[in-house]
Amino acid sequence: MLTFELVTYRYAGASQPSLRDVSLELREGEVLGLVGASEAGKTTLCLVASGLAPRTAGGTLTGRVLLDGEDTAPLAMHELAGRIGIAFASPATQLSGVAATVYEEVAFGPMNLGVPRRELIARTDEALAALQIEPLADRDPAQLSGGQQQLVAIAGLLALRPAHLVLDEPTAQLDPAGTEMVAAALAGLAANGASILVAEQKTDLLAGICSRIVALDGGRAVLDGLAAEILADPRLADLGVAPPAAVRLRRAAADADLPPAALARLEGALAG
Amino acid sequence: MGVGGVIGPALLIGAGVVAPALAAGLLPRVARTATLMSLPLGISALLVNLFLLPGATEVLFRIGPLTATVEGLRFAVEILLRILAITGAITLFYLTTAPAALVLDLERRGVSPRVAFVALASVQTVPAMVERAVTITAAQRARGLDTEGSIWRRLRGVLPLAGPVLLGSIAEVEERTMALEARGFTRPGSRTLLWWPPDSTLQRLARWLLVLAVPLVIVARALGWLGWLG
Amino acid sequence: MTDLTLDAVTYRYPHGGALALDGIHLRIPAGQRVALVGQNGSGKTTLVRHLNGLLRPTSGRVLHDGDDVAGRTVAQLARSVGLAFQDPDRQIFAASVRSEVEFGPRNLGMRGGALRAAVDGALAGVGLEAEAGTNPYDLGASRRKLLALASVQAMGTPVLVLDEPTTGQDMRGVEIVRRVIEAAHAAGRTVIAISHDMEFVAGAFDRVVVLRAGKVILDRTPASVFGEAAWDALRSTYLEPPLSAVIGSKLGLGGTPTDGALLAALAPGSPG
Repeated sequence: MLTFELVTYRYAGASQPSLRDVSLELREGEVLGLVGASEAGKTTLCLVASGLAPRTAGGTLTGRVLLDGEDTAPLAMHELAGRIGIAFASPATQLSGVAATVYEEVAFGPMNLGVPRRELIARTDEALAALQIEPLADRDPAQLSGGQQQLVAIAGLLALRPAHLVLDEPTAQLDPAGTEMVAAALAGLAANGASILVAEQKTDLLAGICSRIVALDGGRAVLDGLAAEILADPRLADLGVAPPAAVRLRRAAADADLPPAALARLEGALAG
Repeated sequence: MGVGGVIGPALLIGAGVVAPALAAGLLPRVARTATLMSLPLGISALLVNLFLLPGATEVLFRIGPLTATVEGLRFAVEILLRILAITGAITLFYLTTAPAALVLDLERRGVSPRVAFVALASVQTVPAMVERAVTITAAQRARGLDTEGSIWRRLRGVLPLAGPVLLGSIAEVEERTMALEARGFTRPGSRTLLWWPPDSTLQRLARWLLVLAVPLVIVARALGWLGWLG
Repeated sequence: MTDLTLDAVTYRYPHGGALALDGIHLRIPAGQRVALVGQNGSGKTTLVRHLNGLLRPTSGRVLHDGDDVAGRTVAQLARSVGLAFQDPDRQIFAASVRSEVEFGPRNLGMRGGALRAAVDGALAGVGLEAEAGTNPYDLGASRRKLLALASVQAMGTPVLVLDEPTTGQDMRGVEIVRRVIEAAHAAGRTVIAISHDMEFVAGAFDRVVVLRAGKVILDRTPASVFGEAAWDALRSTYLEPPLSAVIGSKLGLGGTPTDGALLAALAPGSPG
């Protein structure tokens, strides 16, 4: 379980904190969705959750980040690497740059952690299979398209088998098929007990896999609750977050002053 | 006088460069590259010694004020062979060794993974930068940057082309560092290797023999043996 | 204004590479808003790069107003077709937002008052007028993308091509892109956009061209492309119609690709 207790974080040299008094809980087997306008603090929250902030990113953190009840402050980045994994939106910077093949790229993380060779191979095979990219195993990662590289980056994260996964807009560059594959992989991992934090603009995707959702605005967690409730919350649009298609449609229908019979037909079709 | 004959270097080239190159199917490439590499030094050695060797007397031919000598020619050939032996060996080495294989082998023998990473990443940096530069060039051309006009126009294009290549690379550094650290890169100690170049007993023996041969040959020459090698 | 035609265009990657475009026949009359959709690797980016000469067909012809563009340079074709790349960091080089936007128009010969007007208009169009003096790298990634859009829009070319303009944008960002497209259309410019966002496509374009493995498999209005008759073809390339289209089909209301269309069809007095 990953816990934030009143976390305030300010990047080095910034005049304002990027996160303010954020408290949240990411439980085992749960997918927690993170929504908010660009620059509301989603990426920063992901960096703090993974430990990269303040360790590599610098800056100051007040409040506490707890991993299974233990304060993470004294832990070094490499101690966290096996327990919390993170994936970013842009694949190019996530590739190690030293792997000649996709296989080596996916194996990079567990290799660093000194995982025994047999297990290393098993994990890599599994990660490739989870995202259905076995056919790419012998390809040079640098020659792949952006979407393929993103799948490779996420596979690299899966190979670490962390108990907690943090993903910052992982499907931004993916086509609908790739997006679906990632969503399915995440749902499967949560079903096996992983805790997953995923920041996304695609609220329809989140509606499909998240049990709870947190909405950020100006660095504060302003909404936190069950996914269905938060996604239907009218305040979401004011926060710059597009609601899922069904919610948007219902709202538009209500605003359009349609007669009750028409509304009922719509409702029936949405429910079916 | 003389640096010492042709038999020694000829044997070295034959056994140490030509034979392995033939076995690896690389003889044409090794020959071409080694020759090209030897050209600058080789040409100057040839000219200097052919015409200007001190104490040489047997005349080969004359061109204007310059006199080519037989001793000079022999000396030049001796030097050329030695140069070819060196360039042949270097060429053979880099044509038969993948950088990754070399670096991973060093890592297996105890070099820090972080050092290995830097060595490997620097090899990959060039193609990655080239690919980036190609995309950037396309993007800027799409904005009307003229890459096909006069030299002045093309010079003006340097900043819009070099700018994103450099800026983009620098801007990426922080994110790349974070991605590496998040994947356990900074963990002290060694890491598990997926593969490394195989090393047989025969290869190990050959390596030791080669290493021992150096001091032995030096001593032998100092003692005056091996004179027949030249 | 410029009519674009691709006449039996085939493109094979150099050095015996894969076939990226396989006999494309496409005519885009001036002023149309066309969305180009398809899986990653279906040939969308390859296709648009033929429009401004960045790529030349292996066989077939590309015509601007009936004239083969084979003999014209990319710089010359940039007067007719402005192309905004997917990754803004592959084009941004200037120290200020204003200088960045000026680059394209300057290359086309704009100076003085006309240049200033074009740049001011472009910046206002994407909401960056207050950031004219800011260093582009001090903007977040999503605003840099809007900057790249403005930089190409400012060129005022008769044809505007956008490669995945809404990727990584939040709700407000998508709205900005929508408005830029509307304004360009109102000015009589052709707008061609590659997108993975079917909802965005359904609402902002007159015509949707679906690519699969280098061929055009559907080329119709949004209502038709997202209508039930086309669903098999769409799904064959892992695309899903927007929710409004699905609901409209369930209720037997004909082609309703957008919320607006669906609600209009549900309103009293409309057939169905």
